[in-house]
Amino acid sequence: MSVLSFEGLGGGYGDTQVLSAVGASLGPGAGLGVIGRNGVGKSTLVRLLAGALPTIAGTVRLGGSVIDGWPAHRRQRAGLATMPQERLVFDPLTVRENLTLHRRERTLAPYEAMFEVFPRLKERLALPAGRLSGGEKKIVAFVRALADAAPVTLLDEPSEGVQPENLQRMAALIGARREAGASFVIVEQNLHFLLPLLQQVLVLDHGRVVRSGPAGPQDRETLTQHLRV
Amino acid sequence: MEGLAVTYSLNLLYQCALLALVALGLAIVFGQLGIMNMAHGEFLMLGAYAMVVVQRVGLPLWLGVPLAALACAVIALVVERILIRPLAHRPFDTLLATWGLGILMRKSVEAVFGRGYQSLDHGWTGTLEVVGAPYPAYRLGLMAAVAVALGVLAWWYRRSPAGARVQAMVANPGLAEAMGLNTRRLAMWAFVAGSVCAGIAGALLAPLVRIEPAMGMDWLLASFFVLVVGGLGTLGGLLAGAALIGGTQVAVSSALDATWGTVAVLLLAILFLWRRPNGLVARA
Amino acid sequence: MAWWRAPEVFGPWLLLAAALVAAPTLGDDYLAYQLGLYLLYGLVAQGIALTWGRCGFLPLGQALFFGLGAYVSGLVLKAAEVHSAWWAAWPLAVALPAGLDWGLARVLFARRSESGPFFSLITLALAMLGFQFANQWSSVTGGFNGLGGIPDLPGFDRYTTLYWLIAGIVLAATAGWVWLDRMPLGTLWRAVAEQENRLQFFGFATDRLKALAFGLSGALGGLAGAIYAPHQGLVTPQATGFQLSAELLIWAAVGGRGNSSPYGALLGAVGIGWLSATLRQSFVYWEVMVALLFIVVVLRHPGGAVALAAPLWRQLARRNGDEPAVAAPAMPGGTDDETLAFEGVRVQQSGVTILDGLDLVISTRGVHGLIGPNGAGKTSSFNAMSARLPVTAGSIRWRGRCLAGLTADAVARLGIGRKSQIPSIFPTMSVRDHLRIAIWAQRASGLDLLRGRTQRWRTPLPDTLTAELPFLSTQADRAAGELSQGQRQMLELVLTFLTEPRLLLLDEPCAGLSTHETAQQLALIERTVASLRATALLIEHDFAAVERMATQVHVLHQGRLLVIGTLAELQADEAVQRVYAGGRK
Repeated sequence: MSVLSFEGLGGGYGDTQVLSAVGASLGPGAGLGVIGRNGVGKSTLVRLLAGALPTIAGTVRLGGSVIDGWPAHRRQRAGLATMPQERLVFDPLTVRENLTLHRRERTLAPYEAMFEVFPRLKERLALPAGRLSGGEKKIVAFVRALADAAPVTLLDEPSEGVQPENLQRMAALIGARREAGASFVIVEQNLHFLLPLLQQVLVLDHGRVVRSGPAGPQDRETLTQHLRV
Repeated sequence: MEGLAVTYSLNLLYQCALLALVALGLAIVFGQLGIMNMAHGEFLMLGAYAMVVVQRVGLPLWLGVPLAALACAVIALVVERILIRPLAHRPFDTLLATWGLGILMRKSVEAVFGRGYQSLDHGWTGTLEVVGAPYPAYRLGLMAAVAVALGVLAWWYRRSPAGARVQAMVANPGLAEAMGLNTRRLAMWAFVAGSVCAGIAGALLAPLVRIEPAMGMDWLLASFFVLVVGGLGTLGGLLAGAALIGGTQVAVSSALDATWGTVAVLLLAILFLWRRPNGLVARA
Repeated sequence: MAWWRAPEVFGPWLLLAAALVAAPTLGDDYLAYQLGLYLLYGLVAQGIALTWGRCGFLPLGQALFFGLGAYVSGLVLKAAEVHSAWWAAWPLAVALPAGLDWGLARVLFARRSESGPFFSLITLALAMLGFQFANQWSSVTGGFNGLGGIPDLPGFDRYTTLYWLIAGIVLAATAGWVWLDRMPLGTLWRAVAEQENRLQFFGFATDRLKALAFGLSGALGGLAGAIYAPHQGLVTPQATGFQLSAELLIWAAVGGRGNSSPYGALLGAVGIGWLSATLRQSFVYWEVMVALLFIVVVLRHPGGAVALAAPLWRQLARRNGDEPAVAAPAMPGGTDDETLAFEGVRVQQSGVTILDGLDLVISTRGVHGLIGPNGAGKTSSFNAMSARLPVTAGSIRWRGRCLAGLTADAVARLGIGRKSQIPSIFPTMSVRDHLRIAIWAQRASGLDLLRGRTQRWRTPLPDTLTAELPFLSTQADRAAGELSQGQRQMLELVLTFLTEPRLLLLDEPCAGLSTHETAQQLALIERTVASLRATALLIEHDFAAVERMATQVHVLHQGRLLVIGTLAELQADEAVQRVYAGGRK
């Protein structure tokens, strides 16, 4: 029983089609890594799945229902959390507001566990999010996406700009959530971060899939080749 | 002499308050949502005519305010669906379509009420003593109401959950959507709120100005100039713009005459559009 | 074939002339008098059709120019009754509005190309100001009651012979409108409306093009006003305010502002305007209906009434056959010193550092690669060169000349051509027009733009390119927006080559292309750059491609230059691999 599946997915910007015929299927607790060089369409894939970009072709299924044409907020309500690559926070709002404004109950209760892992975040609650460093913004966005406890979470380059010790913590949190049954789609350039979390892989080039299927830390060499200059 | 200074200062404050009141609706629709609503003046005009209608029917005058709010809310809901939403992200087309809407509203009111001036019979012609100088009570009441309204709005925007959501939608609509906020519905309510503000402003203005179908044009331009000069997107910008435009108008009008006051405001607006299009108070 | 011999050109014009002659002959003097008034309004509407229908900018206060012309004309005519020397001042009635409109456009569009909506607001505000002046300045304008007692234009009686003057002017103006439209200038105006950015990258000073259109539009309005004064004998403030402006806009829109604009404008003014005048009193909801019609036209049917007859004209129109080509002026060749140098360039926006002290020197000809991970600053370095991003520190020099402070078109004129990542073309214009525009760029003088001969300019380059890209001639008359993705990329690449730039900035020219198309595109680049003996900077993610062509590859990282080398050297470089595989230094 797949929690997220997509097939023949194609999309682009304006009249430029950047991605074609991409498909994969995730079960509970799965970890799908999406890798490839710049410009191959990784972020486009995330946007298509999240509903931020309309698809030109293909279907996406979330937990069995077809979600084509659903706007992004509806997908989030249906259990698909997203952490985008850029523009991660609401700059004029405080960190606390960033974490709570989309929830009905405005408490920080769901974040207590996260605060234990990232204590510095708790110190920054009253600051306007725009004043955080790039890495800190990533942590805020990451924590918020994870606290949604969604069946499927999309992470677009979560490690970019984050300090190594925080990277370990992020990986640990993802691992814990996977054990609890949540699935992840992770777009990453940093193989060192990604490999322990990997269970399936999707390698993109020129907007198409060049390799897909099960993968793990043992595939380090072959996967690195796909990223080399 | 002191009396003159007091009166002059009160006039200045009054002009600024008036501008802030009138521009408030557009500050929401254009400043926050980025929609160039050329029919903003007509919503004001509708609000004023609501007072006329209430008077003709023989009801107490204050009922005009909720009537204005209701009428503008209904019209705004329809307009948002038919005109605004389909033309999102196309500023020129929005400008054109709302310009046409304004014409439609003007001509409709003309057809029903005629082109001439309407006047309101209201008993609020009394004056109050302010630091020894008499000043029309209604104007003072209006200034107080504007101050209170702006204060309430500022508090609501900063403190309430809905206000935070609107701020989020404005700051980063993509992220807001990704987090589960229905930005289209939020934008719709924001547009309605802005139009209702315009309607209420028109109703409150009605006892003070000449009511005619074409009255909205002046207020439309004044509102745009306030926002361009003051800066889009913040309450501070609205106040700064109202102060600068109001101040310029009053100063030049009393030194020369009302027409030169308008010229000065226009030149100021052109200057800002040319040199400092983001206005005095930049968005955070 | 002379431009005016085409049936779709002289056909409508003759029809118009026939109608204008028939009206007073079949009707009576009163009919002619009324028709004359609405023909004058039609002239103003033609001005609106020029700026709005062609250039894409909406003037909300056109009556300002009409009223200005009317008042000046009225004053001059009244003064000339006493001192005939005043006659010399009459042309001011046209020159003043034209100059005002032109000056306004120059000021507002000088640095910003997106001022469109604000420009509309300013014209509206000016119209209202004009109304206020007319009302208040009673000593000059007669105030609220207007300027009365304006005598006839010498030699013309307003009730009889003035009509013929008006008809003549309308025919001349229409002919002039159509003539300009068919000249290169008209093509450029249409291009401004569609993709102004692209025009600037060719090297056209688009703000001047726009200002010219506005100046002409103001002249039309002023001319109409100048005749209006002796026609009516009275000019009131209503001639300048926003009410008239709004009506003029409605007439232009409903009549039609698309391809047959001058006729549409006249049709709208005479048709709707005249109808409104008669029905306004009797049918109270007439104006509401017209307003509704306006909204519907704007939303659904932007071509207006004349667009309904468009298929007919298309039948009549014959395609331009093979016309004898004319050799275009040659572009200056390369000089010895063609070096691009970035020195400590810093670009910051909204607190984010995009370029952080970039030092880059390119002094050899041929293709150079520019690579780096996302956010490294590659496209930003291009934007800093083409005046799209302000440089906060450091300098960029090309051939020793500093690029800071230049506008995008000035940079292009220095011999720098740019190809954007997303194909930037003019969607409704034909492939043929695209090639023409590229040939005119930087070669055509102002006067050349007014000559039909310029349409036939050819250079040898497109002929060699057409051999490789046959669609350039087989699809020559197709609208560029209908081409496939790959064809559009190739078209824009060809356009960039046609200006024979000395430095080519190519930003992912193969984005969205298939592997086969990519290979074709890159081969084209390699060959053309070699034959032009130019320098090219290529941003590309496909490293196999870069390897084939680039003599040197520059790696950018976090807004700075990381390393330079051949691709083989970079592949062996640990620092580069780490940057790409995600390590951060």
